[in-house]
Amino acid sequence: MRDLADLAVEAAVAAGAAYADARAVSRRVQRVATKNGDVDTISDGETEGIGVRALVGSAWGFACDRRLSAEGAREAAIRAVAFAQASGAHSPRRSIELLPVQPEVAEYASPVVRDPIDVPLDEKIALCLRADETLRHADVRITSASTRAQRERRAFSSSEGARIYQELVECGGGIDALAERDGRVQIRSFPSTHGGSSAQGGWEYVEELGLEREGPRVAEEAAALLRADPCPPAVTTVVLDAEQMALQVHESVGHPTELDRVLGTEASYAGTSFLRPDDVGRLSYGSELMNITADPTTPNGLGTFGFDDEGVPAERRPVVVGGILTGFLTSRETAVATGDGAGGSMRAEGWSRMPLVRMTNLHLEPGAGTLEDLLADVDEGVYLETNRSWSIDDKRLNFQFGMQVAREIRRGRLGRLLRDAIYTGITPEFWGSLEAVAGREEWRVYGLTNCGKGQPGQHAHVSHGAAPARFRGVRVGVPS
Amino acid sequence: MSSEPLAQHALELADRALRVAEADEADVLVHAERSGLARFACSRVHQPTLIADEAVSIRVVRDGRVGTVSTNRTDDDGLREAVRRAEAAAAGAPPDHAFPGLPQPSKPPSVKGFDEETAALAPQDQAEGAWTAIEAAPELGLYGYFTSAVSATAVASTTGIAVSHAATDATVLAIAASERESGYAEATSWRAGELDPAEVAREAVEKARRTRDAEEVEPGTFRAVLEPYAFAELLWYFAATSLGALALLEGRSYFSGRLGEPLFHPSFSLADDGLDPAGFPRPFDFEGVPKQRLALVEEGVARDVVWDRRTGKRGGHDSTGHALPPAAQAAGPLPLNLSVAPGERSVEELAQAVGEGIHVTRLHYLGVVDPREGIITGMTRDGTFRIEDGRVTAPLLNLRFTTSFPALVERLLGLGREVKLTNLSDFYDERMPHAALVPAIATEALTIDGPGSSPGL
Repeated sequence: MRDLADLAVEAAVAAGAAYADARAVSRRVQRVATKNGDVDTISDGETEGIGVRALVGSAWGFACDRRLSAEGAREAAIRAVAFAQASGAHSPRRSIELLPVQPEVAEYASPVVRDPIDVPLDEKIALCLRADETLRHADVRITSASTRAQRERRAFSSSEGARIYQELVECGGGIDALAERDGRVQIRSFPSTHGGSSAQGGWEYVEELGLEREGPRVAEEAAALLRADPCPPAVTTVVLDAEQMALQVHESVGHPTELDRVLGTEASYAGTSFLRPDDVGRLSYGSELMNITADPTTPNGLGTFGFDDEGVPAERRPVVVGGILTGFLTSRETAVATGDGAGGSMRAEGWSRMPLVRMTNLHLEPGAGTLEDLLADVDEGVYLETNRSWSIDDKRLNFQFGMQVAREIRRGRLGRLLRDAIYTGITPEFWGSLEAVAGREEWRVYGLTNCGKGQPGQHAHVSHGAAPARFRGVRVGVPS
Repeated sequence: MSSEPLAQHALELADRALRVAEADEADVLVHAERSGLARFACSRVHQPTLIADEAVSIRVVRDGRVGTVSTNRTDDDGLREAVRRAEAAAAGAPPDHAFPGLPQPSKPPSVKGFDEETAALAPQDQAEGAWTAIEAAPELGLYGYFTSAVSATAVASTTGIAVSHAATDATVLAIAASERESGYAEATSWRAGELDPAEVAREAVEKARRTRDAEEVEPGTFRAVLEPYAFAELLWYFAATSLGALALLEGRSYFSGRLGEPLFHPSFSLADDGLDPAGFPRPFDFEGVPKQRLALVEEGVARDVVWDRRTGKRGGHDSTGHALPPAAQAAGPLPLNLSVAPGERSVEELAQAVGEGIHVTRLHYLGVVDPREGIITGMTRDGTFRIEDGRVTAPLLNLRFTTSFPALVERLLGLGREVKLTNLSDFYDERMPHAALVPAIATEALTIDGPGSSPGL
């Protein structure tokens, strides 16, 4: 793979590229899922190929080929250069400048105790069936459990001399209970609604999730929601659990701080941003308790690597400090446009997509105290747990999240269960109302595998560390 | 069976994989793609992507145990390794009592959907399509893409299935925008020659020009016109959660327990038609079962949902030819060729029917809040206007809506007489274009929660 990446870069330069990089990638993904005590899915997929990015004059071109062969590498390179030439044919003659980066010759591998791909399928099936069994309940109509395992090998070469090999291993799992009575449906999930949670690392992560342990509680809560009152409409204090805080960070901080969105180059699909390039150091994003860090070095993060897909080394960087915007997620090209530093956020899905500015691991830094401490200071409010639906506008301002569970907070204690809760807000107003973040002991890292962006679309795997947090003056209710 | 070279290649590959499998019971799905997408932003082609791939899914059945794998290593060694993994998966699995057995061969219908000129488009042509749009909009920044592709699907099985099909698709999408205005347009077809990138760009510019100085509206339930772009996306989110048999059987669908009931306005009829040459026709699904025109709603009455063979066995229903590829089959069958019967009104007449209300061009980032009740949230974007006295007037801020799709369609005020093929593909994963044929609609029941961002970048 490494030699093929070198060969592709050489071919692109020979064909006229001023700069070129290539990624030879091999990926294997296994999924096992059970439903109502039966095996629902056993899939085992592998895909491999090489993607070449070429810069010719004022335009990029990208082409890929599934063949991990000299012929495939050469043809992809030549097609990338040809597409760059065609794409720049009408462009004003302006050159694209890339932030200088020391070309590295290096290797990186996820620390793994037990490679999840090597765990036998029957062991994965057995785990899912056991977890599935713990979800049985008279009111639960559908029980499901799932695991996934992935191993990806990436060889990166650039015309500047970078030569990087990385082996990234990840896995995850989750359970869901769907309760139904009289046409009303409620769902509870653990540890997350998005097919569970994933992390980089070995099978030990899945074993430590405790799917079997959590099953009875998840089922009981799904059933209890059938009898719960709807969440009454109010503007009130809310406490969000760590899982929802992870998604809140993702949607309302992660995406708007992607510099390609700020500069408009994602406008035709995912949208732009309410932020402007000169907001760094000036814009008040939230209260002084808001501290956000991009950290591709986080142990077990899905966005953890040695180097991004431009060969930029992983580096922990603050994005919001004390409520003030301090930086963007960048590429080598966009970083030059703003002078915002070293980048390290360019990622591509597999071998057949062009790298884009992406989140890596983006965290809400912990504050102090426990969840109980956050609740204790609330005279009247709502505690919201586990995301159910999500939507946010093209500039990442107006958001609405639906939640699986709401609980009344009265005089500092959790009260009755409430169903079908949604909450809405406008990003800087919402973060401005942040009045507490729980401490390190409540801080968890959640891994998402469904972050969509780009045309053609590509999914990124990202993680977010978060602890429960409290916001005042938030609009809650049920969908009309 | 298609005589197009890529379809022939796909079928030969499927046959070869089946021979390598040497199994008593097995089937193979091959999907091959050659695509180019010239993405542009700020009136510059910035992310042009060429993809060449072919993938093989192999399903092996041993004593009622099923193992499914996929690979894009299509030499004999790669196929042998995939078969070994499939057999290992089957050996490690318990018997699959819900598996309906492999499909039997059935002659697929003859459909169109392949265009030589579209298949022949080179990267230079795709870039030129993008630049034609860009140069037609010199007064505003243009954002979007021009894309075209040829893809082929083949299915072969030990039961005797041996079918293949090649399809082409092309789409041009444009947002014309500045800091304070934005407008949207798109066109899609399996014949690239039917697309006019310059006209799409001009439509986006014309729409954008009318979005400056947008106003707010108070939350409430409004009478509204939804252009085909907006209605198609809303319909797709409803369909994906309510019009598949798995959701029906599991009680998650709005149609669960409601088949045969008049759920919508009598003027609303909805079909899934995989044979219609006005859409993206396909002769068979991803298990090789023939496609058909299937009535889902007739004159407001819920008639059926779409079925594959697995849900069909469970629900006592024949497959309607809507199986997804193996990697996606856990989601159940889906309607990928939705078609809404047109009405008799022009868009202007729909606004007149609304009288006072809102005109919506397109939507953004939809989420299904309550699938059982068909409640969907999202934002309007790139062209939201007030309707006053039956005419489209002042621009509005982008609006958050959380609305009941069934109520929206139950309280129709009218349907447009023109249907538009509206692209629903974001081109994730393998290239499998799908689109909906829909008219604009007028409704009494679009529920707005409040304003969001302003039009523009």
